[in-house]
Amino acid sequence: MTKPRALTKALTPLAIFAFIVSACSSGGATSPSASTASVAPPASSGSVAPSGSASGADLGPLIEAAKAEGTLTTIALPHDWCNYGEAIETFKTKYGLTVNELNPGGSSGDEIEAIKANQANPGPQAPDVVDVGFSFGADNIDLYEPYKVQTWDTIPEAAKDPNGAWFGDYYGVMSFTSNKSIVANPPKDWADLLKPEYKGQVALDGDPRTSNQAIQAVYAAALANGGSLDNAQPGLDFFKKVVDAGNFVPVDANPGTIVQGATPIALRWSYNGLSHRDEAAGNPDIDVTVPASGRFGGTYVQAISKYAPHPNAAKLWEEFLYSDEGQLLWLKGYCNPIRYEDMVSRNVVPADLAAKLPDTTGAVFPTPEQLKKATDLITKGWDATVGVDVVAPPE
Amino acid sequence: MTTTIERSVPSARPARRLPLAWLGLIPFFLFAILFIGLPVTYLVVGSFQNNQGATTLQNYQDLLGQNTLRSFTLSIEISLVTALVGGIFGFLLAYAVILGGLPRFLRGALMTFSGVASNFAGVPLALAFIFTLGQLGIVTLFLKGVGIDPYAEGFTIYSKIGLELVYLYFQFPLMVLIIAPAIDGLRPEWREAAENMGASSFEYWRRVALPILFPTILGSMILLFGNAFGAQATAYQLTSGTLPIVPVIIGAQISGDVLHNPGLGYAMAMGMVIIMGISIGIYTLLQRRAERWRR
Amino acid sequence: MRRRRRSSIAWWLVFLVAFLYFFVPLYATLDFSLKAKPAFAAYTHTFADAKFVGSLLYSLVVGLLTIVASLGLVVPTAYWVQLRVPRARSIVEFVTLLPFVIPPVVLVFGLIRVYSRPPVPFTHTDLGSTALLVFGYVVLSLPYMYRSVDAGLRAIDIRSLTEAAQSMGASWPLILWRIILPNIRVALISGAFLTLAIVLGEFTIASFLARPAFGPYLNLLSNQKAYEPAAASIISFALTWLAMIVIALVGRGSRTRVQVGGAH
Repeated sequence: MTKPRALTKALTPLAIFAFIVSACSSGGATSPSASTASVAPPASSGSVAPSGSASGADLGPLIEAAKAEGTLTTIALPHDWCNYGEAIETFKTKYGLTVNELNPGGSSGDEIEAIKANQANPGPQAPDVVDVGFSFGADNIDLYEPYKVQTWDTIPEAAKDPNGAWFGDYYGVMSFTSNKSIVANPPKDWADLLKPEYKGQVALDGDPRTSNQAIQAVYAAALANGGSLDNAQPGLDFFKKVVDAGNFVPVDANPGTIVQGATPIALRWSYNGLSHRDEAAGNPDIDVTVPASGRFGGTYVQAISKYAPHPNAAKLWEEFLYSDEGQLLWLKGYCNPIRYEDMVSRNVVPADLAAKLPDTTGAVFPTPEQLKKATDLITKGWDATVGVDVVAPPE
Repeated sequence: MTTTIERSVPSARPARRLPLAWLGLIPFFLFAILFIGLPVTYLVVGSFQNNQGATTLQNYQDLLGQNTLRSFTLSIEISLVTALVGGIFGFLLAYAVILGGLPRFLRGALMTFSGVASNFAGVPLALAFIFTLGQLGIVTLFLKGVGIDPYAEGFTIYSKIGLELVYLYFQFPLMVLIIAPAIDGLRPEWREAAENMGASSFEYWRRVALPILFPTILGSMILLFGNAFGAQATAYQLTSGTLPIVPVIIGAQISGDVLHNPGLGYAMAMGMVIIMGISIGIYTLLQRRAERWRR
Repeated sequence: MRRRRRSSIAWWLVFLVAFLYFFVPLYATLDFSLKAKPAFAAYTHTFADAKFVGSLLYSLVVGLLTIVASLGLVVPTAYWVQLRVPRARSIVEFVTLLPFVIPPVVLVFGLIRVYSRPPVPFTHTDLGSTALLVFGYVVLSLPYMYRSVDAGLRAIDIRSLTEAAQSMGASWPLILWRIILPNIRVALISGAFLTLAIVLGEFTIASFLARPAFGPYLNLLSNQKAYEPAAASIISFALTWLAMIVIALVGRGSRTRVQVGGAH
């Protein structure tokens, strides 16, 4: 690793300055659990590129350092989620790294646990990067290594941590995915979910105590049932009504169960529904409907693990994802990439791709504070109010 | 290594030989300590700790709490039901092919199939039953075709009854495999002797066959109980963990459910160990008794 | 000679019910797997999937390693217990029953905690993690392996065999390898089969150790794809059948046993 060393020497004073600044500002952050504080992160002496924004800085040294590490370990990235399949393949071919994919079916909660459980373990079980729900990002700052990608400035302020600990990656809208071979008449709005014709058909994608997608589905339901971004309780009450009507099937919905008939109507993000529809190619017919009322936008965030065994590969991955190329790959998977407005203003978004996005007018996005409050309420209140166990697979 | 030939007489072995002979078991015990003992110690110690690492009995107190008791009751109930039903029907099935007068080849076929089916679990088994009795299952559709809609009546495969139905798929074959040698051991001479003395079929069963078979049947049912109690993969795959049976809850607590409480998970695991330990213990005792009848 | 009993309709009914119960779900799986368009697409996709072949091979190799390690541990131990240390029988059997009572998720967490740090950091490397997986599987298969081998050893007269071999100057390894092992072939094979079945289907340990095994693959498949899991189930069922038939055939040829001394 001789080449990066020269660059590192030159940038070290800047790095130290940036480090001091970020250390001071994060000094007030509370540590969530004793176990996190007691383990020192692996020495990142080989880590390249300062944590200051370095637009225009040459990625060469970072690429070299990443190649020296040779592998990137990701977690909970299904290939049909935001077109991650293509993103991973492109990354592999472009930089010649191998990608060790952990637990593709995992939830945001599983990702956080994986970081925590492997703090002292630099083996293949430890994730380098995570892609988690918004509140999972903000709640676990102590687990992340701050990093600002080259395109940092084009990420909206409301969607990132000022110090670079986490940063929004894409968003979508909560929608209904229906298997038309069972559900001849797919639901159009939240109130429809209570109709008797949907008996035993409505399911969440994940456990509303650990899965961001499931939690946000409950939050979304609140909007259409007398609640608001500040009040998620009606969401829980609504699901209680769905259970009481006999319409709820407590099975974790995924493309498999939707086609097999276990979960004919699933509450999933619009991008998941649409990519499933494409893959099913009519066998069976999949209908994706964004509800008429209660349109809820959900954002996910990226973060690099503080205990990442391959920090440089992790940084390179982020640079890739936030480049125009990476963002367009997400767009191809029906996800609205976080830099969408910026890319549109620079005319880099192909018209046909833009046309495929679903109509999400009127969708509302909660602030981090609203999200935290709602997430807490839903994860703790599900058992008490609804009382049905939907545990996400412990993969 | 010694090359002298010992004429072995079990009880008269000179005492000083014992320690040396036991040395031969060192690899086994070493392996057991390294890969069973240490993790189990971790389990036992963990059950006495709370989230902050302090020592506490709280986890065991929580064991008696509403939720965990519900888990254990559910697990025990499912295991008992499938052990009983599996045991009885498995016994009948084994008897049918061995002594029931069915064509000889069916016995071999059933034994081979049982070997395969008793290992059919987890994802493939859960899926197979979803395809059979799920919303779009062929039996469900068939029943709908003749006018019965099980799902309208409130039946669902993703329930306790559904899980029990599924578990039987590996309980029946397990029973068949275990009980077959015992049924083989029923000498035809005993039946003939009974009939010669004027006993009816029923009396033969009541006085001769069942008393002989009873320890084995009971022991096998207990083994079936343990088998069902510990099964997790199938239940998980079928119900996504909606049925809070013990192995599923343990997994959730330890691997980081939002209600993350590994200490409780370990305490529940200890509870499971005790229940399984008792059932294995009874099974072993009954098996030793049953061996009296086998030559 | 056994007098053939009159087969009553009741026993046929029992058999019929059992037959339906066992075969309808299998047929249903087959039927669903053929619903893909075109009909065999689910199968071609599965075989063409590098991860299917890769994970199956990985699990087969791990299974083989587990069988070898397990036999290497169990056969000498069971032999030694029967031959020389009968008093150890209870404690050895107790140890072999421990894996029954420990939930796999607890076992794997314990293993990871103990072996993810110095002095023996198995989990730090791919090879080490695989080794840890094999050890975990040896633990899981211990009850079945030990019972099989123990039953097999009890059916032959190891005392006489050993004495005869020793009188001809054979060493312990030679005795085990040339005399004992061939005579418990059926027991070994049935133990090996059970071990393989456990390894192929196992999910929890492989998943937590992040190993590319067949169990996690099947689970992933069932989450993401609709028809392929059905095809994969049929394929794995067929493979298991094949293995069982092979065992049955091999077992048929083992009537010959080395008889030493009088009949039992």
